Amino acid sequence: MWDVSSRTIVYAAIGAALYGVTAQFQIALPGTANVSLRPSFALVTFFGVAFGPIVGLFVGLVGNAIADQISGWGLLTSWNWSLANGLAGFIAGWWAMSMMQGQNKLVNAAVASAIGVVIGFLFVFTDIWLGTAENFGVAMSDNYIPVVVGDLIVAVILTPILVAAWEPIRESMGR
Amino acid sequence: MAAGPLLEIDSLTFRYRRATEPAIRDLSLTMERGEVLLVAGPSGCGKSTLIRAINGLIPHAYPGEMAGVVRLAGRPTTELRLREISLTVGTLLQDPAKQIVGSTVESELAFGPENLGWDAAAMRARIAEVSDEAGIGGLAGRETYALSGGERQLLAMAGALMLQPSLYVVDEPLANLDPLTADHLLDVLRQLADAGHAVVIVEHRVEEALQLRPDRVLYLEESRVQYLGPVDGFLRVADPESVKLPFEVTLERERARDQGAVKQVVPRREHTELDVPARLAFRNVHVSLGDREVLRGLDASLAPRGVVAVLGPNGSGKTTMFRAGMGLIRPTSGAVEVDGNPAQGRSVAELARVFGYVFQSPSQMLFSRTVRDELLFGPRNLGHRVDDADGFAMATLRRTSLDGLEGILTRPPMTLSFGQQKRLALAIALALEPPTLILDEPSAGQDHRTANRFMDEVRGISGLESTYLITHDVDLALTRADRILVIRDGRVVGDGTPAEVIRDEEEWRACNLHQTSLMRANMAWRPAGHAFLDAASLARAILAQERAATREMEGGSTIDRA
Amino acid sequence: MNVAPRYLGRGSWLARRDPRVLILALAAYVLAAVQVWDLRLLTPMAVAALLYYRSAQIPWRAVRANWAYIAFFIGFIILVNTVLTGGELRGFKEADLHIYFRLPLLSTPISAEMVTYATVQLLRFGSMAAMGFPIAFAMAPGDIGPTFARLRVPYKFAYAIDLTFRFLPSLATDMQTTMDAQRIRGYEWDRVKGGPVGRLRKLGPLLVPVTINAIVGAEDTIDAMDLRGFGTGRRTWLRQLAYGRVDLLLLGAYVLLLLVITALSLTGHTRLWVPDVLIPRPG
Ligand SMILES: Nc1ncnc2c1ncn2[C@@H]1O[C@H](COP(=O)(O)OP(=O)(O)OP(=O)(O)O)[C@@H](O)[C@H]1O
Ligand SMILES: Nc1ncnc2c1ncn2[C@@H]1O[C@H](COP(=O)(O)OP(=O)(O)OP(=O)(O)O)[C@@H](O)[C@H]1O
Ligand SMILES: [Mg+2]
Ligand SMILES: [Mg+2]
Repeated sequence: MWDVSSRTIVYAAIGAALYGVTAQFQIALPGTANVSLRPSFALVTFFGVAFGPIVGLFVGLVGNAIADQISGWGLLTSWNWSLANGLAGFIAGWWAMSMMQGQNKLVNAAVASAIGVVIGFLFVFTDIWLGTAENFGVAMSDNYIPVVVGDLIVAVILTPILVAAWEPIRESMGR
Repeated sequence: MAAGPLLEIDSLTFRYRRATEPAIRDLSLTMERGEVLLVAGPSGCGKSTLIRAINGLIPHAYPGEMAGVVRLAGRPTTELRLREISLTVGTLLQDPAKQIVGSTVESELAFGPENLGWDAAAMRARIAEVSDEAGIGGLAGRETYALSGGERQLLAMAGALMLQPSLYVVDEPLANLDPLTADHLLDVLRQLADAGHAVVIVEHRVEEALQLRPDRVLYLEESRVQYLGPVDGFLRVADPESVKLPFEVTLERERARDQGAVKQVVPRREHTELDVPARLAFRNVHVSLGDREVLRGLDASLAPRGVVAVLGPNGSGKTTMFRAGMGLIRPTSGAVEVDGNPAQGRSVAELARVFGYVFQSPSQMLFSRTVRDELLFGPRNLGHRVDDADGFAMATLRRTSLDGLEGILTRPPMTLSFGQQKRLALAIALALEPPTLILDEPSAGQDHRTANRFMDEVRGISGLESTYLITHDVDLALTRADRILVIRDGRVVGDGTPAEVIRDEEEWRACNLHQTSLMRANMAWRPAGHAFLDAASLARAILAQERAATREMEGGSTIDRA
Repeated sequence: MNVAPRYLGRGSWLARRDPRVLILALAAYVLAAVQVWDLRLLTPMAVAALLYYRSAQIPWRAVRANWAYIAFFIGFIILVNTVLTGGELRGFKEADLHIYFRLPLLSTPISAEMVTYATVQLLRFGSMAAMGFPIAFAMAPGDIGPTFARLRVPYKFAYAIDLTFRFLPSLATDMQTTMDAQRIRGYEWDRVKGGPVGRLRKLGPLLVPVTINAIVGAEDTIDAMDLRGFGTGRRTWLRQLAYGRVDLLLLGAYVLLLLVITALSLTGHTRLWVPDVLIPRPG
């Protein structure tokens, strides 16, 4: 799980690049002001669950930073959010690999992703310290809850779809 | 230098971890410096597995069960690390887009030396040498994503040259290259052999690979060695249907098989066009992608009936042309017409009922969990009512001979083999009953037999009025098409029947095309006024002519040839 | 959207700097900027950032859309922080605010403090973005890996970043091809109907082939890396990086900025400061 081979590196790079490429897709949730679904986030949890916590960390951290850079927002402007994405991927990957083995793969993926999101994004509370959120209330109602709601929906729906597509191919490739 | 031959394989058997059958059985082989070995055989026979066993990926990166031994300069690969093997063996894989890891030409070339800890000055000196050797000096400073397919393959080759290995293993390097670029790559390999390196090349395009003047041929079938020995022996035993051989060889083989009672070939007549509006017409079309103008005033009209082939160098705009035709990209100026009406304003989905488009790489559209869902996706999106899903799916699969596979309806599409995926993609296109098919590189990545069968099946599809194919395979275009368009730099530079377009030899070469043995034979022997024939038919036609001539001379008596 | 790296600042003054400077200067600036609420400090900082941005000579037309996005996003951050906090900013009690008027319905006070706050956020995020642009446009594509490696990022991680940029353009092309292939089958994601969750699920036909193909295709890339000895020992880089005098001066300036700002911040000199002109005169 902690071994960094060329396989780990290539998967990590592909995941991060895919995150950058798919960041253009966004779906607004009607009835809410600031919750939007970011489908690209599913790549963070999927790569974490499928290839381990290191890959998950990289895809979230570097993928989000690169997506920010592509949009113009800047590589480091919201570095704490990139780190939060990375943590979500890391935790999802770690949970899937070490906490639940031998159960239904799809349920497993969804649960691990959900845990990754809920815990990983706690890191966005650093916005209070960085001055992007004025106080705990703003950070909670405007940063943490929206991102967790949006990413939970994305991760729980899309991660199993990707896992379901990947599993039979992994079986037949058999490396 | 360690003792022993450069490469020595001793009764190698290998089974991949999840496979039930070995991919290679009991293979023995010895190679000396300066030797060139051509490896051929149908898809799945174990060619790539052999390559992996030589370059150490087996057993170092692919787990499985291995018996026998592979020695490099006397030392078993099992005892060497990949790092050490990389100093002896250089590898070139089929798909250049995937084996290039650097963002720029320089960083790609430096990749191997960097991993081995060279210092920068040594790397720079070696890069200069290698750029010369591989003839890619002109690419210096370029970004790899902006290179054409041919340039990428040459760069990958140069990357393998960097570490000065003594043995090169090359796995189907020609698959997506235009003929002239392929020749150039083969030249580089030949020079390596002349300089005393050994080369193992896997290639379906045997005719072209013979330019490399291999010393020996290894022919594999069902993971066993069928033939290992000199080239002429191979040409005597090889089956012209499974590998593509020079025409002279096919002729000799037909002659040997000829019992004087072959059924008469009925050659196709060259197609004459009727006076109906073109199915697809381009009028002075310009298309820019990024900051590059890819189509620069393209004028062409493609008839509603018959087969049209589009030839041209890598990056000349062939794929772009049909993407514009399908409404997938909008021309910056000029007009596209479909059946005499402007295509603008018609949606892609509407045009998909006229043109069934089969992409070069079929897996890029497969996403469903089962083949059945995959087939129904298009019709459902377009609001067709499908009552009997299984029946509909089976009927569609039957048209591309996929219906025989066990449990096909519930197989995940991505687990099919490349050839099967290609057929599935064709079935998907056919599900909308289009009168015209567009095939992008239908033969690339498939062995000769599979590719030919695929093309035969396309010809046999009922209700199909026309087929447009993009290809680098000159013989495929000449023998299958009624008309050929030659594209260069985003313009049509040749347009006519096969016989017409090859007349201007200079232009033909300027488009990175070359003369094949079949082409020359057709020009010399083809019955007057007839279309180009495939190798087997032409051979039979020639034999028939010969027989008729001798019969005439001998006053009608049948003779046996010595 | 164009995701391929565009080396538009090629040859500019900033592009000739050691690429490490671009990363370190940005990091120093970001860390400094988040500590500053005083416009008297932030305005000169933003000017410095703007000059830095200009020295990369990025053509305006190429990045107009990016700036529009940034403006929108900053507006959003300002809006939520001013409205949602009920006007209580930076520890100011409502009684201390210089209020112009109250918003109808919400009765949020609009004050001199709030206007100052909005200006600060605008300058801060705008200048951080400006400092970030040169990384995309004034850094040679092949420099990314060596730059991070020389910043003491472990080489495998640095190489992964390099590879990410290598994959971006080709995956963008693959995505385009898949979109085209599905459009032919009557599927266009922009026109997919249904609720947000339904639309999310219907992203499968795009997301699945692109992702799975990339992973399957990775086998060749992995082989190509293993075959050239990746990860088997000490690694060197072709690209040699050395700070020149100008590089060190530039970098020194940004580090100094960070140190000074941190010192000022610790001694309480960077708090929100409301310019006199904004304070309403009674009467
Ligand atoms: N990683 C793998 N795991 C399991 N089986 C494999 C693996 N790679 C190849 N095989 C199987 O081993 C056999 C030989 O495959 P190989 O790739 O060597 O064929 P090939 O001759 O190179 O075919 P092609 O012409 O299509 O490239 C095939 O049946 C294939 O399905
Ligand atoms: N999205 C894009 N952005 C920029 N350039 C592109 C894009 N797509 C293709 N090109 C460039 O346009 C040129 C023509 O591409 P096209 O795919 O039509 O060539 P082709 O004739 O089909 O070549 P090949 O035989 O290699 O398939 C190429 O140089 C390619 O690099
Ligand atoms: Mg193969
Ligand atoms: Mg093409």
